[in-house]
Amino acid sequence: MEVVDQEGRTLTFSVGPQHPGSGHFRLIVKVDGDYIVDAKPDPGYVHRGAEKMSEERTYIQNIPHLERPVIIDSSGILFPYVLAVEELLGVEAPSRAQYIRIIMAELNRIISHTYWLSIYGIFLGHSTMFMWPMGDRELFIDLAESIGGTRVTFSYFVPGGVRNDLPQGFKERALKTCDYFEKRLKEYDRIFFSNPMFLKRTRGVGVLKREDAIKIGATGPNLRASGVLSDTRKDEPYSSYDTIKWEIPVRKEGDAYARAMVRFQELFDSLDIIGQALNLIPDGPVKIPMRGQIKGKVGESFARTEAARGTMFYHIISDGATHPYRVKISVPSFRNLSAIPFLLKGNHLADMPAIYWGLDYWPVEADK
Amino acid sequence: MSQSSDKEHLLLSSIKGKFGDKVRELYVNPKRMKILVDREDIVKVALFVRDLGFDQVISAGGTDFPQEDSFVMDYHLISVDHDDLKKIIFNLSTKFPKKEPKIPTLMEVWSSAEYHEQETFEMLGIIFETHPRMERLLLPEDWNDIPPLRKEFKLPSRLVEHGSS
Amino acid sequence: MDTFEEFLKRVITIAFWVLLLGPIIILPIILLVLPPLGVQVEVANRLLTALIDPFAMLRLVDSLGIGPSSLFFKIAVFPGFTFAALFSTAVILYERKLLAKMQNRVGPQYAGKFEGILQPIAELFKLMFKEILTPERTDKPFFWAVPFLAIAVGGALLALIPLSPEIYIAKSEIGLVIIFAILSFTPLIVLIAGWASANKFSFIGGLRALHLLISYEIPLILSALGVVMLSGSLDLMKIVQAQANIWFIVPQFVGAGVFFVTMLAELERIPFDLAEADSEIVAGWYTEYSGMHFGALQLANYIKLYGLTLLFTLLFLGGWNGPAILPPLVWLFIKLFIVISFVLALRGTNTRVRIDQLIKLGWVYLIFLAFANLFIALTVASLGIV
Repeated sequence: MEVVDQEGRTLTFSVGPQHPGSGHFRLIVKVDGDYIVDAKPDPGYVHRGAEKMSEERTYIQNIPHLERPVIIDSSGILFPYVLAVEELLGVEAPSRAQYIRIIMAELNRIISHTYWLSIYGIFLGHSTMFMWPMGDRELFIDLAESIGGTRVTFSYFVPGGVRNDLPQGFKERALKTCDYFEKRLKEYDRIFFSNPMFLKRTRGVGVLKREDAIKIGATGPNLRASGVLSDTRKDEPYSSYDTIKWEIPVRKEGDAYARAMVRFQELFDSLDIIGQALNLIPDGPVKIPMRGQIKGKVGESFARTEAARGTMFYHIISDGATHPYRVKISVPSFRNLSAIPFLLKGNHLADMPAIYWGLDYWPVEADK
Repeated sequence: MSQSSDKEHLLLSSIKGKFGDKVRELYVNPKRMKILVDREDIVKVALFVRDLGFDQVISAGGTDFPQEDSFVMDYHLISVDHDDLKKIIFNLSTKFPKKEPKIPTLMEVWSSAEYHEQETFEMLGIIFETHPRMERLLLPEDWNDIPPLRKEFKLPSRLVEHGSS
Repeated sequence: MDTFEEFLKRVITIAFWVLLLGPIIILPIILLVLPPLGVQVEVANRLLTALIDPFAMLRLVDSLGIGPSSLFFKIAVFPGFTFAALFSTAVILYERKLLAKMQNRVGPQYAGKFEGILQPIAELFKLMFKEILTPERTDKPFFWAVPFLAIAVGGALLALIPLSPEIYIAKSEIGLVIIFAILSFTPLIVLIAGWASANKFSFIGGLRALHLLISYEIPLILSALGVVMLSGSLDLMKIVQAQANIWFIVPQFVGAGVFFVTMLAELERIPFDLAEADSEIVAGWYTEYSGMHFGALQLANYIKLYGLTLLFTLLFLGGWNGPAILPPLVWLFIKLFIVISFVLALRGTNTRVRIDQLIKLGWVYLIFLAFANLFIALTVASLGIV
């Protein structure tokens, strides 16, 4: 590789796939001094063909492998799948199952956002912010484990409900954990989000304007940080989300700071939603009993939900067999991908971690 | 589901009013609607649909139907900025023969379609004319096989089962 | 090798047998072979006695010219290199434990019986046994020279910083000037490392280090100038003596602040570690260094940390001055401990700054503050307060 180009001004190098700041992802960056002239994303290092695999497996067999692309938000990526399959089957989950799904999805949102927060901390050089959320995240993993049975890949949502009921004493445990975490979040605010150094590194960095955000297809917290009120939980309420009241955090600035603060606020909101769902949850069955192989009716269905990184979308086509005919997964990270080169151009190389991880791009999810 | 689908019918009638028979409705359900257009008309229809308020492509993907010897390309459109359209997923689809897998790109209409179209090119071999980056995205650089999401492509691990059936 | 303890046991066993068998075999040789050759037996006897008697050993070492009062001892052992290296090792352990406590962790726990106290030693052994990789396209002489140069700069720094009126290596009328001259070698070394590594990340790290130089070197020197004005000397001994009544941090609080901030930049510690920012440029100019090369660079950095915090203590905190209830050296190390704790704690609570922010900080705020500090010093000195 050439160190410098022919004019001798710019320097091209790869960030990733073996780079502490990239994940399973490569970013070809061209810099002029400390400024990024051009950035080209090169995803695909962890492509596992989830869509093709889905065509070869039954509806139930698809559940475990569909979680794998984003194991830290495994309920988020599975949620629209079960909704879409339920639509094909013409069933709806029982009310209790819907609330359990809300609890699980929000637990997963917290697990995902705390993971993001800890990596964001270390990307900006703040090692305490790496350790704290990573440690507190374990509490929520434990909670989710007590429901789903494993640490991260729960395979908990099934067509027609959820796999099993909540364990005994879950409500008290969950509320206690939520109370504790709310206190911790205030400490996070003091050491990190109100830290002048943090403000200096993120304010006005990588500004994604409202119209650009819509145009390039940004989604989830990134879109909301640019001033667009768009959240599938409100737009198209699914799974009893319409019975829960909360405010969606929206910020106008569109910079890395706004994106971080939207996610930070979502942590509070998720705690709130879990509390409300635990109070609203009715008694009853958690699953519609189904015998044998499930077969969707001939036709197709779409479903979208709000996962931790944005709107997760599934399009399932069924030809009446036990296998889906075609599963199209549209993951939020893949749609946020175009924001990375868009925002990096013209910025400092030193802002690359703040921008790149501020978008919460999860390479494995994008590659499917 | 008992929600009304007035808005959806309104949208459909405005599209029908503009393009007439060129647009075939496949279904209009609450929150979901799908229309089918020819590939020659897709850019015009897409521009019109965008001006109706659908501002993002949430997903774009093709499907292979070997029995009909054709590809179907689905663009799933959502609106993030218009409150009355937010709950609708609009499916704009087009069908074309497999022998000639070429359709115009919708990148100029929605730039959020860029990576979806690139992925579809790679996975199904559909060529999007005038798309600036018809190149490899997710597959390995040395991929030397037919596009994997075509039905002719059998997963090596499942070849035995398919052979027996 | 199963555990570190077993390894130590083996080393001790070997040493035991050498010490036991050595005299049995060497004794007859010395007594039987040497006298006929005309060598005085007394030397041989002293050699043997020294093996079991520490005081005799001291006398023997003294007679060879490397005793505790010799220059060699000062440079190599105390207060020179060995002491500084051991102190740095202790600082590394302290840093890890302190950060761990800040971050709800336990830190090193297993090496050594108590709280992982031998962890830095264990890691030193690990680094020693690692292969030193030299990439194909590196400029090898320069690449290999960098760890030695780094250690040399750290060591040279120590030579000019006294620990007490009696304990010092070199005494100079212009000690402070020499210290700053030595310090300005560092960015050059980093640049050589960045250039010789033939690695893009190293290269960018080296360039960033140069940016660091132009932005912090001037305020660093300017902030110390106020102290020179007040004490009227460039000799660190005299500067400390001038603080017998009042520490210079009181009239020179602005200067102390500027010095502290620029010191962090000089040490490349968070929030100014952008020459080795791991999330941006892998490890900056450290990227291609492995094994004991890397260990040497780290050691040099911590020796510099020791030297600079010591300098801060001498310049602003009154050095070894303190009530006579404790010896001067203890006072010095208490102050040093506090300063080092501040430096280390910053790592747990701050993010990294950006290069343009650093340059702006250096050229706009710090230089301005340093000049303001000079006027404070002038005022204080002309009023005759200090």
